[in-house]
Amino acid sequence: MTTAPAGAPPLLAVESVDVTLGRGWRANHVLSGVDLDVWPGEIVGLVGETGSGKTTLARTVVGLVNPKRGRVVLDGRPFSALRRGARRAERRRGHVQLVFQDPLRSLDPDLTVAEIVAEGLRIRGEADDEIRRRVTDALEKVGLDPTVLERTPGQISGGQRQRVSIARALAVEPRLLICDEPVSALDASTRNYVLRLLDELRTSLGLAIVIISHDLSSLAGIADRVVVLYRGRIIEDGPVDRVFATPRHPYTALLMASAPSIKQHSVRHDQPFAPDQLRRTGAGPAPPAGPGACVFADRCRFAAGACAVQPPLTAVGERWSVACHRHQEWGALAQSAIRQEGPTHAR
Amino acid sequence: MAIDNRDPWPDLVDAVRHEGGTDDLLCLDDLHVSVHDGAATAVRGVSLRVRPGEIVGLVGESGSGKTLTCRATLGVLPPGCGVERGTVSFGGVDVTSLPRRDWERLHGSQLGAVFQDPASYLNPVLTVGAQLAEVLRVKLGLGRRAAHRRALELFEAVGLRQPARVFHQIPAELSGGMLQRVMIAIAISCDPKLLVADEPTTALDVTIQAEVLELLQRLRDERGLAVLFVSHDLAVITQLCDRIVVFYAGEIVESGPAEEITQRPRHPYTQALLRVASVGDFRRRELEVIAGQPPRVGEDIAGCRFAARCPVAVPECEAGPVRSVPVGERHEARCVLAARAMAVS
Repeated sequence: MTTAPAGAPPLLAVESVDVTLGRGWRANHVLSGVDLDVWPGEIVGLVGETGSGKTTLARTVVGLVNPKRGRVVLDGRPFSALRRGARRAERRRGHVQLVFQDPLRSLDPDLTVAEIVAEGLRIRGEADDEIRRRVTDALEKVGLDPTVLERTPGQISGGQRQRVSIARALAVEPRLLICDEPVSALDASTRNYVLRLLDELRTSLGLAIVIISHDLSSLAGIADRVVVLYRGRIIEDGPVDRVFATPRHPYTALLMASAPSIKQHSVRHDQPFAPDQLRRTGAGPAPPAGPGACVFADRCRFAAGACAVQPPLTAVGERWSVACHRHQEWGALAQSAIRQEGPTHAR
Repeated sequence: MAIDNRDPWPDLVDAVRHEGGTDDLLCLDDLHVSVHDGAATAVRGVSLRVRPGEIVGLVGESGSGKTLTCRATLGVLPPGCGVERGTVSFGGVDVTSLPRRDWERLHGSQLGAVFQDPASYLNPVLTVGAQLAEVLRVKLGLGRRAAHRRALELFEAVGLRQPARVFHQIPAELSGGMLQRVMIAIAISCDPKLLVADEPTTALDVTIQAEVLELLQRLRDERGLAVLFVSHDLAVITQLCDRIVVFYAGEIVESGPAEEITQRPRHPYTQALLRVASVGDFRRRELEVIAGQPPRVGEDIAGCRFAARCPVAVPECEAGPVRSVPVGERHEARCVLAARAMAVS
């Protein structure tokens, strides 16, 4: 699945990026020391809760937000260092495209599907018949019938609208597609259709795709790697099958245990812990706090003295790293707590 | 002696109390809801029952009529929509065409509601504590002090960590999960018998969603609160509910105990929903889709409304209306094939 050849340079390299929004006393450190590499043909799932910085990271990659420190390198060229004209030219080449969560709000309601998909090409100054050819081509790639061409976003279904968003992005032949919650507004069946489409596109076009999502189980269907963001820091980054089999960060484990499942009525062998066995309880000593403490410490059941210092992202396996001081101990601690309290299967 | 002698129905609190534990609290019978000022019928003959202390989940795609059904239950249908036929009864009393004033008496004291977007139901410039205390003072006639004390207890009951602090905060200062807890506190403040929850966790992070679902379960266990829970996510519904009601294109296609529905689904649409739902095992798998599109809202179809997308449809399916048949203990399915299988056995 992962097509990254050893030694080949990544298509996208985000290098220790810090992003601060606002100034002075309003300054909000949204991203801290974020590193992310994406190779061609790879699907990376970016997971995190509201306010964790997922969307800001996406906006930084496409150049809508400037990093305070660090840089974004695209195909060997440092994109974030470009200014004005050079950046505009780079953006018009359309190598990176963003697909938004809610197509009803991100697509112009007064334009027809044909005009929406053509817009990027028109800005780039392509000839009319070239535009027509590419628009038809892009719609075909996402499996949309040409009959939708003259309709407006309000006249088509939610699944079709999201496919129009993807077609708009594909029309300029990008190499990297960043999808911000592409399926969270869709019904289960339509969600699977769109995810399958993205999976096919990365194979047929060799696209690199970053999917931002809060739904881990839909990522498990198609992603090669999963990156977990918590309050602006990457806390775990690794191959999807291995991370989901044995998460090394307590937050990743909590995310997985909290994901709803239709398997509730049979015992879930796949999930060793129930969410309340991973949540911090009111009892016990207060967690280490302060500006330098581990970002997850105040919610972590296993926080200890060492957690007063933010742990660095450390390799725990091949292309697998985690930022937790206690990544080797918390699993056993949780197990022994279950032996004392008894298993809680009533979820 | 009675303040309001025009009271059209006996006191619901007593009515419900006297009917005993196993009787139905909410009963929808052949409910039809029209939309676009009567131009189309979006809910077509929905019948369902909720017992005291039971958590019933309505699941279906967008446009399947589940939200309209629960709005009709609350007596708050959007403009242009109306109950065309059928009845909604609550505690054995028909409330279908209740005047506005009487609905207001029912809201809060008997029926509570929470919706997807808590921020839009709260006043942005008042503290959440003041908004809860206001409900307590108006609905229960509590004094200022008593309302304050009760509000803190309620905030504590819904799992807000620092009730005294939260009391003085405005909605913008609270996270989505905390706001939804505030909404639940307001909804249960007058000890209603039934809580109607329309997609209350859809906008929340998955870890917070799990906490809110646990809270609803705890409120049921501790207070005997019945919950009518609406979601498009079958996995969430299975997690929480005792009974599952599956909606498709304005009709109930299957209903039954949660375990029956997930282990032995009888309607092909339920089976399809289970195949596309989040399995939660995080393994790489083939992502399945349900081919085709649901019919337009209000479209008239002679036979089974799912037949056009059904992988096992037979000619009989499109011949005429399909009736819902019992296929197990409190388990019904609206399917020609399920009916046939029952007839054989």
